[in-house]
Amino acid sequence: MTQTGADILQGTLDLLVLKTLALGPMHGWGIAQRIQQVSREVLQVQQGSLYPALYRLERKGSIQAEWGASQNNRRAKYYSLTKAGQEQLAKEQADWERLSTAVALILQRV
Amino acid sequence: MRSQWFRRKGEFEQEMNEEMRFHFEQQVAANIASGMTPEEARRRAALQFGAVDSVKESCREERRGFWLETVWSNIRYGLRMMRRDPGFTLVVVLTLALGIGANSAVFSAIDAILLRPLPFPNGDQLMRISQYNPKVKSPQSFVAPVRLENWNRMNSTFQAISGYYLEDVSETSGALPEKLTQALVAPRFLQVWGVAPALGRDFAPEEEHFGGPDAAIISDRFWRQRFHGDPNALGKKLRFGKWSYSIVGIMPASFDFPARDVDFWSVSAPDAPFAQSRDSTWFTVIGRLKRGVTLAQARANLATVQTQLGKQYPKPDADLAVDVQPLKETTVGGVRGSLWILFGSVSLLLLIACTNIVALLLARASQREHEISVRFSLGASRAAIMGQLLTEVFVLAVTGAVLGLLIAGAASKVFRTLAANLPRVEEIHLDARIVLYSLACSVAATLVCGLIPAVRGARRSIFGSLAHSSVAQVSARNPIQWLLVGVQVALAVTLLAGAGLLFRSFQALGHVSPGFDTTHVLTFHVSGSWGETADMKGLTQRIDRTLDSLRNLPGVEGTATAAVLPGVPGENQGEIKIEEGQADPNRKIVAENRYVSPSYFAAMQIPLLAGEACRERPDGYDVLVNRSFANTYLGDSLAGGHHVEVLGQTFTPKGEIRGIVGDARELGLNREPSPTLYWCVSAPDPDPYYLVRTHGAPMLLADTIREEVHRIEPARSVFDITPLEEHLDDAFSENRLRMVLLGFFAATAVSLACVGLYGTLSYSVTVRRREVGLRLALGAMRGQIVRHFLLQGLGVSLLGCIAGCGLAVAFAQVLSGMLYGVSATDAATLSGVVLIVLAVATVACLAPAIRAARVEPMQVLRNE
Repeated sequence: MTQTGADILQGTLDLLVLKTLALGPMHGWGIAQRIQQVSREVLQVQQGSLYPALYRLERKGSIQAEWGASQNNRRAKYYSLTKAGQEQLAKEQADWERLSTAVALILQRV
Repeated sequence: MRSQWFRRKGEFEQEMNEEMRFHFEQQVAANIASGMTPEEARRRAALQFGAVDSVKESCREERRGFWLETVWSNIRYGLRMMRRDPGFTLVVVLTLALGIGANSAVFSAIDAILLRPLPFPNGDQLMRISQYNPKVKSPQSFVAPVRLENWNRMNSTFQAISGYYLEDVSETSGALPEKLTQALVAPRFLQVWGVAPALGRDFAPEEEHFGGPDAAIISDRFWRQRFHGDPNALGKKLRFGKWSYSIVGIMPASFDFPARDVDFWSVSAPDAPFAQSRDSTWFTVIGRLKRGVTLAQARANLATVQTQLGKQYPKPDADLAVDVQPLKETTVGGVRGSLWILFGSVSLLLLIACTNIVALLLARASQREHEISVRFSLGASRAAIMGQLLTEVFVLAVTGAVLGLLIAGAASKVFRTLAANLPRVEEIHLDARIVLYSLACSVAATLVCGLIPAVRGARRSIFGSLAHSSVAQVSARNPIQWLLVGVQVALAVTLLAGAGLLFRSFQALGHVSPGFDTTHVLTFHVSGSWGETADMKGLTQRIDRTLDSLRNLPGVEGTATAAVLPGVPGENQGEIKIEEGQADPNRKIVAENRYVSPSYFAAMQIPLLAGEACRERPDGYDVLVNRSFANTYLGDSLAGGHHVEVLGQTFTPKGEIRGIVGDARELGLNREPSPTLYWCVSAPDPDPYYLVRTHGAPMLLADTIREEVHRIEPARSVFDITPLEEHLDDAFSENRLRMVLLGFFAATAVSLACVGLYGTLSYSVTVRRREVGLRLALGAMRGQIVRHFLLQGLGVSLLGCIAGCGLAVAFAQVLSGMLYGVSATDAATLSGVVLIVLAVATVACLAPAIRAARVEPMQVLRNE
């Protein structure tokens, strides 16, 4: 994702981060890699968007952070979903599906 | 707490750095894994990471408590900026202090006088009730005791109705008699006010009857002064000749109705024999409405009651009507207009001060473009920079507000002494509300002053931040700012001219001839009581005896009594009917009526021009008229004494004109003498003003007079001993207040105009730096540059002065009622004012003009 039109995509980025963390705790680098891989290299998250989003989600209470050891034994900050985060994920996922269905309908019609 | 916060902040930075570093290293590792060399991997990773500081900045914004930190660091930065440029800071802070301080002072007055309810429980239920005769244009007058009781009994809308009147009495339990102010009240007095005595009790029913025990409730002030706060004062007695009153209660300190100097309250029994006539009116009546009753309902109800009374007692009640007004309205209504006008003026002043500061801030903002560009490049957002600029202004505003509160406190004190007879003026004080108001003013000032410079200053310039790019601004004329400066100069000229005219009037008044000799006259009162009016002959004899014995004192040249003081404003106009001759129906004879003893004219040195002096007679009155009256109404026919009477009064005195005396400015030194009738009676009321002409300084005889009166009238006290000149001075206290206020406004307007000129010219110089450099490089002399800017500033000032002269003439028309001896278009005053303003303008413009000429052309042009 490039840095234009940051506001709309900010909400979507939150959704993607939460979904990624639903699979298990992960550090920032890992989250960026996973999103890139799973979206088949389409979505490339920049640090300038990712880390502020992580900090914001942590402040809101959707995710929590813990320092731990990474795979190559370095100190890394791992994020994981909280209960509130799970609820937020469910809600935003439902919203997104409703939105994209509506947009698809209009694009088909017109 | 702070250290914990600092530690957390340090921790946060550390963790964030570590996180970023981890991410970076992972990227490097990934790059190496995909085949790059370690150096290539690191370079790529760095590129891909982007601007680290920008990322970190965005992260910091998401931290909890970030905003608070930002505000705090902005404030600290603002304080540092203030220290860095003390001259600028001083000017801005002083201007704001003046503006906000004046505003707070006036607001405190308005809050105490107009906005707050009267300091009684449910103060808006309190009403003032008066009677008046709608057919005669008589002012609302006092009420007879029996009528008051009728109203109280027959109404259905009031909880209670009561009344009061004031009298001065001599208390004789000390060595010398002491004058006390007594408030005689109808029953239910404290019930109406809703205040109970702090110690002791209210009056008991038997004390409210004629012939019952005499009781007094004393005021807190009298209690502390006479009894030093001793609770055993209850039960002690106050003596007044052969009467003694027991003290049954002590009022709280805050209760000072009906007047501030009341010493004690006692009951005026409704069933007293002298209080039964429906014509003898002396009560000022107050009432408390029942809960939920409106003013209209009360008015209608009392109107019905009065109609019933009119049927029952056709004379005089059938002619009377009742008026009900909220007590707060009658107390403060007269000054409402003036106070709001004052408030409008100081608010306008603050607004003008703010526009000045905008100019100064704009000038400074254009000097900080470099610094702001650097901030942008470090990743600050536009909002952050605007916030920082606004916070700087806020810091200045709050400092100004704090200083302004100090000024407001001092101004309140001055206001209270100068305007001592404003209603409720003792309730004015600075409290939390005023402080909040000051804060609100500073916030408003911040927004007004700071918004435009903040928006302008936080522009990202298109040509890249670090190079100067004032291409677009070679000829910034900013006409609006110059217009504002012109307006301020015009206002300064107007106000200064007004103040100058008032000042010259004041001086001229000092030279006017009053028609009587104001020097060497001592005035005082000797206590008497209204009960003495039952025996007018005895009263007259007593007063004459006092006058005679005083006249025999060494150093005394003449004595007299008068109902009102000469030269002190206070009208007593009445319509006169002359019995002899043809009465002209189209021409009403209206004259002042003055009640003086026969020796008045000698004592005041008013010459007798024709006819004979007057004497006291057992039947009828002698009258002397002044020359104005004779010229206006009598023509040449003085021969054959005319008989006159005053129409429209309950007691209509009939008098015979004996002679003509010279004109005297009885109504005040600033008014022409009007036709006046002098009724020669030495005892117009039990307590007239005594006038004594002394040979030497008036106050030297004060003690002698006091002892002499004590010798002949041991039960009476002498009080209010003051020279006549002091009374005349006091009469002009309102004029003096106006002059001082207008002078203050004028001085403020001139300083504001000065600051405005300086600021706008500075801004102009700063913005046109390139142009000046160009000119200097092309061969202009520095003197020419100075002259150019100086003329720019002076040109606007001159235009402002011309506009101001026009405004000043109009303003002087508004003031014309207060002017004396100077015309509204006095050329000397106007030209003097214009010269002063132009001189000040020159001084204000000099500094920026000289600064303009100091520009180094090489430095300015190099930056292109």
